[in-house]
Amino acid sequence: MTLQQVIFIILAIAVIGSALFVVTTSNLFRGALMLIVAFFGVAGFYVLLDNGLFAVAQVMIYIGAISILIIFSVMLTRGMQAMIPRNAQAGSVAIAAALLFLILLLAFGPFRLVVDLSGVPILSALFRTESARVLGGVPWQFANREVPETYIADFGRALVDLNQFLLPFLLVAFLVDAVLAGAIYIARQRKPAEVIAEREAIAKEEAEELAALQPQPTAPTLPQGAIASTADH
Amino acid sequence: MDAITNLLKIISDFVAELIRSVLGFSPLLAELVTMGIAAVVLITFAALSFMGLTYVERKVVARIQDRLGPNQAGPFGLLQPLADGIKMFTKEDTTPATADRWVYNAAPLVIAVFALATYAVIPFAPGVVGTNLNVGVFYVLAIGSGSIVAILMAGWGSNNKYALLGAFRTVAQLIGYEVPMLLNVLTVVLVTGSMSLIDIINHQTLADGNPGIPHILMLPLPALVFLISGIAETGRSPFDLLEAESEIVAGFHTEYSGMKFALFFLGEYVNALAVSFVFSTLFLGGYAGPILPPYVWILLKAALVFFVFMWLRGTLPRVRIDQMHALNWKFLVPMSTVNLVLVMLVLKLFPTSESAAQAFGGLLVTPWVQTIILAAVNLGVLFTALTLAARAARRFRQAEEEMIMRRRAANLAAAKA
Repeated sequence: MTLQQVIFIILAIAVIGSALFVVTTSNLFRGALMLIVAFFGVAGFYVLLDNGLFAVAQVMIYIGAISILIIFSVMLTRGMQAMIPRNAQAGSVAIAAALLFLILLLAFGPFRLVVDLSGVPILSALFRTESARVLGGVPWQFANREVPETYIADFGRALVDLNQFLLPFLLVAFLVDAVLAGAIYIARQRKPAEVIAEREAIAKEEAEELAALQPQPTAPTLPQGAIASTADH
Repeated sequence: MDAITNLLKIISDFVAELIRSVLGFSPLLAELVTMGIAAVVLITFAALSFMGLTYVERKVVARIQDRLGPNQAGPFGLLQPLADGIKMFTKEDTTPATADRWVYNAAPLVIAVFALATYAVIPFAPGVVGTNLNVGVFYVLAIGSGSIVAILMAGWGSNNKYALLGAFRTVAQLIGYEVPMLLNVLTVVLVTGSMSLIDIINHQTLADGNPGIPHILMLPLPALVFLISGIAETGRSPFDLLEAESEIVAGFHTEYSGMKFALFFLGEYVNALAVSFVFSTLFLGGYAGPILPPYVWILLKAALVFFVFMWLRGTLPRVRIDQMHALNWKFLVPMSTVNLVLVMLVLKLFPTSESAAQAFGGLLVTPWVQTIILAAVNLGVLFTALTLAARAARRFRQAEEEMIMRRRAANLAAAKA
């Protein structure tokens, strides 16, 4: 066994174990923390594949940003610590996941069960070519070659190449721009006059509420029969 | 002379060769042991420098504030770190009754691991580097964001209001100051054309036909902003709002005592030292320098940057939390963005290589001319930004004062009536 294989097995155990913990624990905060461990393991896989850029991006985006967002939303959930959530659908979801895994294993795993989809009405229309219609019949190619030295530059060029990923890249850029504009609008700086006017309005409202709460002269009570008669109709 | 220059390289090669000859039967085991020894050496270096730095910092800040600092334990108080260490070890290790035990105990370990992980990519001399990642700069920034998780763990796990408040503040501050840091590192990467720390150092030396200009001359604005956001990222004074004792007791480490507290302390110092190393690598030319051997140069430069940190800590008062965020989002980020775009334009319009000049039709200039143009653009952006910020701040203050005067007049009128 090479060093790479040993590291791969350790990483796989860590990722699968922490992922299982995430879906089985009832403590959301610990679940979010174990999710970080799983993300780290995936970053380790990228390192094993000689792709440092994606590994570091994985750490930066998934651990530095997305996990923090998840942890924050868990923390800001009211009554987080007193609550012990129970998942009523755990059993059925587990069965569905196991079935899906079995299908994937049979279709694409070591057994290569060939399934002809040309007879199935909707699926055969989805897959155009004859070979795509046969699930599991595609032999996966293992390139088994070195990652080129210039892979970061290649990746960057592919992102701005019209024939490759320029459109998705621009769409993501547009989305991020829209999000930024929205954030700036929500958090915009208000003038001191506006803030003071708002505070005065709130104070006025509170004073009115307080006045409404003051003991009022008792309202004339309805005779007992009035309510009973309306209920009868 | 050559032996002294390459001392670290020779020692590391010797140790690697020794291990290979002893464990010749299994290259796998030899590789593992070599890596393990390298990791232990790096961690020991970081931990020892933490001990030394606590002493130096207390002495320097004491001198700035006209005090003596530690002077009882040993000559000149040199044994003070040792005494502090013994004290930390023998202190009672407390755990709050309602703490989330697992999270509470794991947090100091996680913060120490993330702090030490940065040292894996810092080059100490030619050929002496944990690993030469071709995305080294990006790695440093990514690992830095990991300490946010540890601080959140500490704040939540302690089950203490002040700790959680401190953790929230930390996240806002650290995520916020990551943005200008990234933008300015990106400027350096643009100029160099590589994210590898070794390539960035080489770009500042005379090797490979490079002009040998430290980036701080070329990019004074990114250097300044990197320094500011580096201080904020490590939570040091004047940005130490995460542990502002006058407001939230001690922030996220309120409930920690003994060795666990020491680990947080270690994380802070090791992180600050890592930022000094990265700063000297990005802007001061790293281990490159004349006469003295390279490992002395990098230590000298990092020590200089760390001294600036101590100096600021001894001189500046703590900023208010809204001031801190305003400085970041309204000043540093827009300024850095504008500067980044202008640097891109300058690099395309005034290229130093002939192929680039032919490809984009720019004006071919010598590296020194390009440096002067870049520095002029940088300083122009800085002074414009400062002027605009000063004008906006003055206008805002005047509006606020007017409002106060008007209310006072209204109150007086109401009192008279």
